[in-house]
Amino acid sequence: MHIIRVALDIPIDTLFDYLLPGASTQIIGTRVQVPFGKKLVVGVVIEIAANSSVPLSKLKAATHVFSDIPPLSIASLDLLRFCSNYYHRPLGEVVMSIFPSRLRNVKPFIQKPNTISWFRLTNAGRIANTSPAAIRGIIRCRLLTLLNKSDVIKDSEVKKLGLNAFKILEEFITLGWVEKIPNILISPVTISLEPTLTLEQELVFNTVSAEINRFNTWLLHGITGSGKTEIYLRLISLQLLQGKQTLVLIPEISLTPQLEGIFRKRFPTSILINLHSRLNASERTNGWLQAQEGKAEIILGTRLAVFTPLPKLGLIIVDEEQDSSFKQQDGLCYSARDMAIFRAKYTNVPIILGSATPSLESYYNAINGRYRMLRLSSRAVTNAALPTVRCIDIRTIKVKEGLSETLITSLEKCLSLKQQSLVFINRRGYAPVLMCKSCAWMATCQRCTSRLVVHLREKKLRCHYCGHEELIGHACPKCGDQDIAPFGYGTQRVETALTEFFPNARILRIDHDSTRKKNIWGGMLKDIQEQRVDILVGTQILAKGHDFPNLALVGILNSDASLYSTSFRAAEHLFAQLIQVAGRAGRSDIAGEVLIQTRFPDHPLYCALHQNNYDSLTKILLSEREMACFPPFTYQALLRAEATQISTALDFLKNAAATAIPFKYVEIFDPVPAQMTRFKGMERAHLLTQSTSRKKLQEFLALWYKKIQMLPARNVRWLIDVDPLEF
Amino acid sequence: MGCNQLEICGKIIEMKKLRYTPIGIAIAEFKVSHISQQLEAEVLRQVECEISAVALAQIAKSMTDMKIGTVLKLIGFLARRSRINLQLVLHVNSMHPI
Repeated sequence: MHIIRVALDIPIDTLFDYLLPGASTQIIGTRVQVPFGKKLVVGVVIEIAANSSVPLSKLKAATHVFSDIPPLSIASLDLLRFCSNYYHRPLGEVVMSIFPSRLRNVKPFIQKPNTISWFRLTNAGRIANTSPAAIRGIIRCRLLTLLNKSDVIKDSEVKKLGLNAFKILEEFITLGWVEKIPNILISPVTISLEPTLTLEQELVFNTVSAEINRFNTWLLHGITGSGKTEIYLRLISLQLLQGKQTLVLIPEISLTPQLEGIFRKRFPTSILINLHSRLNASERTNGWLQAQEGKAEIILGTRLAVFTPLPKLGLIIVDEEQDSSFKQQDGLCYSARDMAIFRAKYTNVPIILGSATPSLESYYNAINGRYRMLRLSSRAVTNAALPTVRCIDIRTIKVKEGLSETLITSLEKCLSLKQQSLVFINRRGYAPVLMCKSCAWMATCQRCTSRLVVHLREKKLRCHYCGHEELIGHACPKCGDQDIAPFGYGTQRVETALTEFFPNARILRIDHDSTRKKNIWGGMLKDIQEQRVDILVGTQILAKGHDFPNLALVGILNSDASLYSTSFRAAEHLFAQLIQVAGRAGRSDIAGEVLIQTRFPDHPLYCALHQNNYDSLTKILLSEREMACFPPFTYQALLRAEATQISTALDFLKNAAATAIPFKYVEIFDPVPAQMTRFKGMERAHLLTQSTSRKKLQEFLALWYKKIQMLPARNVRWLIDVDPLEF
Repeated sequence: MGCNQLEICGKIIEMKKLRYTPIGIAIAEFKVSHISQQLEAEVLRQVECEISAVALAQIAKSMTDMKIGTVLKLIGFLARRSRINLQLVLHVNSMHPI
């Protein structure tokens, strides 16, 4: 057998045949370098074949077989194959997307030796005379103090002490005071600071740990501050003792520093790696390889991390499982949560979906017994209670710069009590609209169906969809009136207003703009935790997962905007978001209060929030979904198309609809322009198909996908989005 | 159709805080009260009115020196306040205290 079938990142759904004399099944999963057109590209061997449909004389030979990293395991390939089949994307694209960019390069990867080394004091070192008189030099003293204080120290810690600290360390080694220890000897030591579990936590922990070695989808529904993280930590520690790997998926990069801190404190000697898009190429590659080699014990990452090869996988945790960022919105539209469930089932390991506000899909699965529900219904810290939620009716009262008198008074009270408060507004920038009141002109994006957002400090207008940026003009381009004004509120405007109301308060704005720089976020978190901030102004970045013990008040502005949304998931998402934000208050012994400024104080959503009743609203929402035949009662797939002209996209969709073979139980709707029709200069349209049976829908899609591929698609980009979140 | 000019004298009776457009052009909004005697169909009569006025840029800045009660001569054009508010506003192009 000397024909290999290779997956390449080419938008054609097929494997490519190449010659490789002496190829055996051992080679499956290995990266190879092959000629494609005039270029050399990297692919992965998927199959070995005895013959090819291409004449032998025309087959090209693979130019290189990489032996720099171990091949992908059969388990990994199965996961990727499932992903390719379920989301109807070429296998090559799926396979190649999981590699860090460095491993997609045609040059072999040279792995630097594992740079982390550990050192500890020997008995000789411990009894040696280390009095200041005997030890000269500041760094010498510091190094010895550090060694005396901790069991083991890392080379990076040594480095921090000073330039020649390493030289001194070597000196100590020759003296026999210090020894270098191999990585493997560092066993998982659980550190002393384990809080005692509440009865509820204990029950949850015992239930899961009794079945820790087999597949189960656990839905951990715990109110905010109920100590879900502690459950994760205990379960991870179980797996560490068994020498197994744990994959922890989190929705946002902004959550990593905090969670990483907690994990590292609890498991100081375990190898934890971080996988997210803000890492540089080599950090990411090194982490990925440690995971693949089974060395990394805890893998913390955002959605892409779900594909990381993990030979010793023992547990998967998906935190904030309802978060929409687990679903990729472009290209391969996979849901990391759903892939994680498949992976857990395939590997026969448990998966925990944790949330204070489970998605309707997961909740529905849990009440139907497909998932197993675990509940934490009280806060873990003694005396910490859920905050009281109150609506401020702004139909009848005047607001100053978006802030009501009641909210201002409450903020003032917090300031005088030296407690922290948070003003939540889910819109960054100064104001969402720049408008001319004479002719009603509004600044819009040329490339998207969107309005440009005013960023006053930079005197710029920005499109938050495509990133387009322009300077704010002198006058209205339509009528020439110079008196153009920002309308509505964003974080910057609220920050400015608060600075005027409270000139002595320390105010910190946290949004995508203020946290853009690498590493700045960690410092901000520290400032908040160490109470160098009085009032926080922030977007949803602040809503999730964070634990700010001194936060007493949360003010919510502008949440009504979502009530007008056309998306059928808007209410669910708003509710989840508000519960999350509200949950930031009163997490320790300070009583928390939440004030919501709204024009609809009687809306069922706000009522449920007031009663803190997730189940009541969820039941209402589920019955609405059932009436309207929306998920989770149906399964959907969208055929998306984009072109420079909307008519081209719609025509393509019409043709696609015509080729579909009518299927029982599968409904096909008409092509329509997308909600946001223009995006980055392309006009977008879609066609919805849905079915009450996932299996039927998949069978239909598989056949249809093949037909659509055969359609002429000039100037049209298309893809199938299975289980779409946005329309 | 190009004609749109108004010359009027009056006393400042209201002055809003100076504000700025996003790129920093100053805008002063104020009100003047006008009292005079005018000829109407050859008969002299008493006239009283209040006029909203707005000034931009340099003129707006010099307006900040004016106290309530200052009497001004204003020259400018008329425009409605906004697309939905039909009230007329004098846009001042020239301003002299008298």
